[in-house]
Amino acid sequence: MFGITVGDDGEIHLSGRFDASRVEQAEAVFNRVTATCRVDFSDLQYISSAGLGVLLKTQKRLSASGKSLILIHMNKLVRDVFHIARFDLVFQIDDGQNPPLKMS
Amino acid sequence: MERMFRRALASLDEVFNFMDEALAACGSDPASAYAVNFAVEEFFTNMVKYEPEGDHGVSISVEREANRLTVRMVDTGVRPFDVTNAPAADLSASLKERPVGGLGIHISRELLDSVTYEYGEGQSTITFVKTLET
Repeated sequence: MFGITVGDDGEIHLSGRFDASRVEQAEAVFNRVTATCRVDFSDLQYISSAGLGVLLKTQKRLSASGKSLILIHMNKLVRDVFHIARFDLVFQIDDGQNPPLKMS
Repeated sequence: MERMFRRALASLDEVFNFMDEALAACGSDPASAYAVNFAVEEFFTNMVKYEPEGDHGVSISVEREANRLTVRMVDTGVRPFDVTNAPAADLSASLKERPVGGLGIHISRELLDSVTYEYGEGQSTITFVKTLET
């Protein structure tokens, strides 16, 4: 099961398993994002390269207007994949323990 | 354990159900299970994309010997596509220059101990090994 919802504050909440068969469902939300926005990973168990692609594509589009996605509360396994992908170089990843980093 | 899957993106749910069952039967730790699932999805979706019209299935088998998991994926009636020869993704490129695709095979290789590819008589076989963490 995969879930994606948007809160009143615009924060995106992901849950379950974000695999290649959920790209369309996720893009329907991410393609509408136009401002800097937080993405809550606390209930996301799994993301594949297809899911990483959706995030990267969104980040590229937003960065053209100086905006970005801020990824929060990732579990360790998901975070390891972000690290191997070197996505920590292109995303602000916040574990929720620290105050938000300065936005670049 | 071994099972055959229809060549379609929509089979992914069934693939993951099978993998959950097989990995639990093998006593996999969560990190190894993540790595194996990531690689299975990557190779399976590549097989679907590469030969979308194929009407044959893809077979996946999972075995444990000592503390090593071996997964074998067999795709029949296809042309050769050697995943172990895929070019390395440029992960240091700036956001603007980073390509959106091409990451998955690189990450899979990083997560696994080894990936081998064999081809013969229209059949592609990808075999990969992951040493369990516990």
